[in-house]
Amino acid sequence: MWPMRGLIGSLLLLCCLPAIAQETQPAPESATAPAATPQTVTVTSTRDPVDKSYRKMIRGMERFERQHALAPGATLRFRLLPRLPTVNMRGITLKVVGDHITVPVAVAEDNGFTLPRNEQALREDAAVIANRKTTSMTWRAQVVTPGLPPDTRRLGDLRLECLVGVEAGLVSNSSPLFGWIASALNSPEQVCNSADGNFLFFTERPLFSVTLRAGGRTEILPFRMLYAGGEQTRDELQYCDCQVMLDRTYYAPIWDRSWPDDTLVSFEYMQDAPAPASASGEAAP
Amino acid sequence: MKRLHLLLVGALLLAGCATQAPQPGTVVAVDRFSQLVVPGRTTRAELLAAFGPTRSVAFDSGYQAWLYSASAGGGRSEELVLLLDREGIVRKMRRRPPYASDTAAMQR
Repeated sequence: MWPMRGLIGSLLLLCCLPAIAQETQPAPESATAPAATPQTVTVTSTRDPVDKSYRKMIRGMERFERQHALAPGATLRFRLLPRLPTVNMRGITLKVVGDHITVPVAVAEDNGFTLPRNEQALREDAAVIANRKTTSMTWRAQVVTPGLPPDTRRLGDLRLECLVGVEAGLVSNSSPLFGWIASALNSPEQVCNSADGNFLFFTERPLFSVTLRAGGRTEILPFRMLYAGGEQTRDELQYCDCQVMLDRTYYAPIWDRSWPDDTLVSFEYMQDAPAPASASGEAAP
Repeated sequence: MKRLHLLLVGALLLAGCATQAPQPGTVVAVDRFSQLVVPGRTTRAELLAAFGPTRSVAFDSGYQAWLYSASAGGGRSEELVLLLDREGIVRKMRRRPPYASDTAAMQR
């Protein structure tokens, strides 16, 4: 029932956008302002910022608690990732903004964060707002079991990342209109339990090969499960949130229950990791 | 009834986005491929001369991934994937044999 309400709401919003945009146009420069006095303007916010629904993100956190058995030892964070080549991923600030409440959210150096639960912000249907323009970044849930070998993930963690990410409304992986329709019609289960769910994962570095290991079974992922299928044209890429991370993108077979949650997903990267900085005086002068 | 119409319109719009299954790479003889392709030495021009163009993905970094395929018998095929660097030299190669799960995936 409610997804259709959401769809209709989205379509109505689309119709109203020009009006909203008009309301947020800057006021014309005052004709009486003293022309000779230089003025300093401090920009404290970004027009058309990246934002997500606080209620939905909290629902994602609740989903994590309900299905924690998929990743019993893991913790949940959210993560901001680049979507445009021009976006500056340093110094991002984040806040939860309602009608009468603003809650700052600490962002770590890797652009990960956790959301505090705030009842007033929930009542006010607050938004989680970053100081970057919309579509310049994408968001993901990050579910990580500690103690895994380097360059590996655990399949149960990825399953839970998908469920939380879709529940939280984080993924924007198609053109705006189709994105609204798809999110109105698709539940987390429909996306995450389907081979056609199109839920993308990202590695930290450009990827060459992905191998799954569970007990005595080992399989290399096929080419079609890397690089968002490897068939995106330049025009299509703008609608994929893998836009600037194509070489770090893969599909994991989260829908395939023949792979247990403890399956290790290991990565071979295009290039070896850069050697750690030497302590023997190679620092720049 | 109106809701049903909206659902149908949405479903049709999404169905219109459906794409064909990805094309496999150019088929090559695996023995010749293994003989001629040496990571760190083989170039893009040599690949094109020996095996022809094939399915590939180009990245912003200048790297490219190329996909060839070879018969593995019984109507199945294996993937031969190459990583080419910015200078067009093969840096890495992997062979992916067919797995039993591939058949199940194709039937889905």
